Amino acid sequence: MAHQTHAYHMVDPSPWPLTGAAAALLMTSGLAMWFHYNSMLLLTLGLLIMLLTMFQWWRDIVREGTFQGHHTPPVQKGLRYGMILFITSEVFFFIGFFWAFYHSSLAPTPELGGYWPPTGITPLNPFEVPLLNTAVLLASGVTVTWAHHGLMETNRSQTIQALTLTILLGLYFTALQTMEYYEAPFTIADSVYGSTFFVATGFHGLHVIIGSTFLIVCLLRQIKFHFTSTHHFGFEAAAWYWHFVDVVWLFLYVSIYWWGS
Amino acid sequence: MASRLLRVCGTLRALRRPPCPWPGGIPSNEKQATGLERKVMQDMEKGQDPYNILQPKRYPKEDPNLVPSISSKRIVGCICEEDNSCVIWFWLHKGEPQHCPSCGAHYKMVPHHLPH
Repeated sequence: MAHQTHAYHMVDPSPWPLTGAAAALLMTSGLAMWFHYNSMLLLTLGLLIMLLTMFQWWRDIVREGTFQGHHTPPVQKGLRYGMILFITSEVFFFIGFFWAFYHSSLAPTPELGGYWPPTGITPLNPFEVPLLNTAVLLASGVTVTWAHHGLMETNRSQTIQALTLTILLGLYFTALQTMEYYEAPFTIADSVYGSTFFVATGFHGLHVIIGSTFLIVCLLRQIKFHFTSTHHFGFEAAAWYWHFVDVVWLFLYVSIYWWGS
Repeated sequence: MASRLLRVCGTLRALRRPPCPWPGGIPSNEKQATGLERKVMQDMEKGQDPYNILQPKRYPKEDPNLVPSISSKRIVGCICEEDNSCVIWFWLHKGEPQHCPSCGAHYKMVPHHLPH
């Protein structure tokens, strides 16, 4: 049997890219069906197939790396570059929404009364729940770093406790933000204020949920002894993503909640 | 469904189980690495690099590439990095070592005689 003479991973054929593309097609066409023909069938099917694809694709990566040993140092380096590039693309995604906010708020139009916040809008007090949310996310940044050090220092119980605490803080943030959304005196339909507020904070909230899910997967893998003290890139990627989510919140808080009030 | 339930029970049991054989509870790569990752790790410990992970020999002035030649000059084509399609061509003369203008690798001519 011929063996490779390089340290890279030539992946086996996989159906998940195809199912992922199928899910993307179903979700986009499903969105159109939902908008125009009052049917959520295609959309739901698309979402289901997307979730199945994500679960199975990433499960396969865990199998290839942890159980089959394909993640040599060069392969890990590539994964690091990949995660950094992905997070960078997400940064630019948020830059767009901050651009929209600053464009609208630095020169408020006559339709808004020439003011920001616009006439009639009562913004949320930045020193109430939003400040608590800031503290929660900052604390979660500390706990995830604590978990990382526990992992590097082969301290299983501390790693599991710190990671669990991080996840609980993340869930607490989501719960608080959900309550804020429900109780807010303005809606997404309330002029460009509502649009910029809910689209920017809404996408951030989605990223918090994604980040929390990633951390939960890491917790399950850590419990099942997948990570070693020197090789735990999945955890590092989750921690990077979580710090990114935290930084985005800080910008949101300062720009929209504080300056924007 | 049943297998998924069993797996959840296994995960919960892994939490309650007393600390595993490794001190602190988290294995080292030495204990848990497998497959190609393990092979690479073991070779590195022996000072070997069969999969060419590290940068190749750089050929400094003190340890140049030795180029045999039957005359006083010979053309050298340096492929600076693996798979480069742009080959750096230059004349190598007898005497002092010269270096590639692109990657800096040194070459020294070693005069030979044609057997006759």
